[in-house]
Amino acid sequence: MKKVRRKIGKYEVGRTIGEGTFAKVKFARNSETGDSVAIKIMAKTTILQHRMVEQIKREISIMKIVRNPNIVRLHEVLASQTRIYIILEFVMGGELYDKIVQQGKLSENESRRYFQQLIDTVDHCHRKGVYHRDLKPENLLLDAYGNLKVSDFGLSALTKQGVDLLHTTCGTPNYVAPEVLSNRGYDGAAADVWSCGVILYVLMAGYLPFEEADLPTLYRRINAAEFVCPFWFSADTKSFIQKILDPNPKTRVKIEEIRKEPWFKKNYFPVKLGEDEQVNLDDVRAVFDDIEDQYVAERSEITEGGPLIMNAFEMIALSQGLNLSPLFDRLQDNVKRQTRFVSRKPAKVIISSIEAVAESMGLKVHSRNYKVRLEGVSANRVGPFAVVLEVFEVAPSLFMVDVRRATGDTFDYHKFYMNFCAKLGNIIWRPAGTMPNSNLLKQMTL
Amino acid sequence: MGCYCSTSKKTEAQGYEEPTVLASVTPCEYHDPSLNVTVSEVEALHELYKKLSNSIIEDGLIHREEFQLALFRNKNKKNLFADRIFDLFDLKRNGVIEFGEFVRSLGVFHPNAALEDKITFAFRLYDLRQTGFIEREELKEMVLALLHESDLELSDDMIETIVDKTFSDADINGDGRIDQDEWKAFVSKHPSLIKNMTLPYLKDITLAFPSFVTGTDIEESEM
Repeated sequence: MKKVRRKIGKYEVGRTIGEGTFAKVKFARNSETGDSVAIKIMAKTTILQHRMVEQIKREISIMKIVRNPNIVRLHEVLASQTRIYIILEFVMGGELYDKIVQQGKLSENESRRYFQQLIDTVDHCHRKGVYHRDLKPENLLLDAYGNLKVSDFGLSALTKQGVDLLHTTCGTPNYVAPEVLSNRGYDGAAADVWSCGVILYVLMAGYLPFEEADLPTLYRRINAAEFVCPFWFSADTKSFIQKILDPNPKTRVKIEEIRKEPWFKKNYFPVKLGEDEQVNLDDVRAVFDDIEDQYVAERSEITEGGPLIMNAFEMIALSQGLNLSPLFDRLQDNVKRQTRFVSRKPAKVIISSIEAVAESMGLKVHSRNYKVRLEGVSANRVGPFAVVLEVFEVAPSLFMVDVRRATGDTFDYHKFYMNFCAKLGNIIWRPAGTMPNSNLLKQMTL
Repeated sequence: MGCYCSTSKKTEAQGYEEPTVLASVTPCEYHDPSLNVTVSEVEALHELYKKLSNSIIEDGLIHREEFQLALFRNKNKKNLFADRIFDLFDLKRNGVIEFGEFVRSLGVFHPNAALEDKITFAFRLYDLRQTGFIEREELKEMVLALLHESDLELSDDMIETIVDKTFSDADINGDGRIDQDEWKAFVSKHPSLIKNMTLPYLKDITLAFPSFVTGTDIEESEM
């Protein structure tokens, strides 16, 4: 069994987890540390065609500068002849936006917790001269512990000098401060504070404070800060949000003032930042200065893959007692006995034995990567019948073969299983002292 | 309408809580699993709950035998893991699962539930003796239970090897037991470990009991 394993430098590349206009994002694993990462892959030709070199260089440099536990971490940048690879922290909890869409509004305390993390993160960026300018729930991810991770600094700028005067607006209208919409010069810090306020409103209300079918009305309402707080907002919450969604950037509450607000301080635990590391931008320069001898190796290794390795907890997860689906599925057959066996033969021998026995029973065999599908007609010729077997390594030289009915009658399946295991007898392991096939023979005669 | 109302009153049992209360926000809790179910989902779960809770003893409460019957179609089938789930669902520790406990506990299995809650629930599930850690002997006991359930026999040496390999991977600080942080890190590396913690049915449950969707609609139109 050959398996194609794609590698970029030390990263083994897996499935695609995101796709955008200019980049594809793939899941990957650092083969040296085992850590999961996300790789953003961009074609050099695309970047050049759209004159995005400076923007991307800026985005990458900024992500290196604003290191923080609540910001998606950029590990490094690599380049090959044709592509640029940005190696990012993999965030496994999904988008906060999805949580709101599916779950509806969050509780005040849950909203406050996310808001506190958001303010800490934005404050951290501002202290380094970085403004996000496109804060919205879609850019806020959740890690495995439910903590916030801010991503997507594509529109950030180190200084106002970098602002492209051709842009009419930078961000999504619903979340953008009035002064940004009016296209005047504006203070990035104040604009981000406004966006944070809109996000807080969305978390607690489950819908946007400003949402109109036509842009002129939307812009008018944003400029006037014309919004209504739902009845379930407490008086303190209302007051707090009104201070943030102040259309005048000069009188709008600032981050240091937000921190002093009683609403904000409740259950607040500041993040303890590590010492500021020395930021190394050598890899960014190398990538964009087209230094060929620093190109990363791209490999597609043809390797002899082994069976999947199963740890003890994955074995336990096979238990019927941990499967609650029968509570809901009324069409399910009577619960079948678990069907699996163990073997000490090499995995390849197990597979070839399964294939040989299945063919001798007149079944059609499909094998791939230590997984075998057997198809045939049921003994009573009523309908199609299919079984899937998969080999797992549970310890060195010890394999478990999981056998599952895919289609067909339960009774036929069990008759098949008994017959099949009897024929496989020589590869099935039993502890010393057990008579070969005695249990199976006994069951067959019942 | 009248029939529906009177039926609803009759089905109220000890531990019954209004669906709107169960589905509403509980401000003082950060991760209340009931946030993961809507009012109509609570109504549908109540229909399911009635079926389960009266399958053997008609008292409107789920007993252990009724839980086993629902899972295995056999009220006498013992299973270590099903027992652990029953114990975790039984939030009041009084030997039965009340409706409020049922809804709150199933909330963790909803596809929209926070990943952190699923990871925590699995940790508590495997912490058989509730010491706050997954001990090596607990893991061995669970492996033995799975093997027994599968009619498999392995030598003690083999079982020790399997447990040792998993522990060397999961027990990062080498103190001989797995704490919650180690468990979170381990699950991050092996996401399939919490595959059982998600029940897609919970997203479609109002389709499985259409009469209650209708009931909910009628109730809503009255308001």
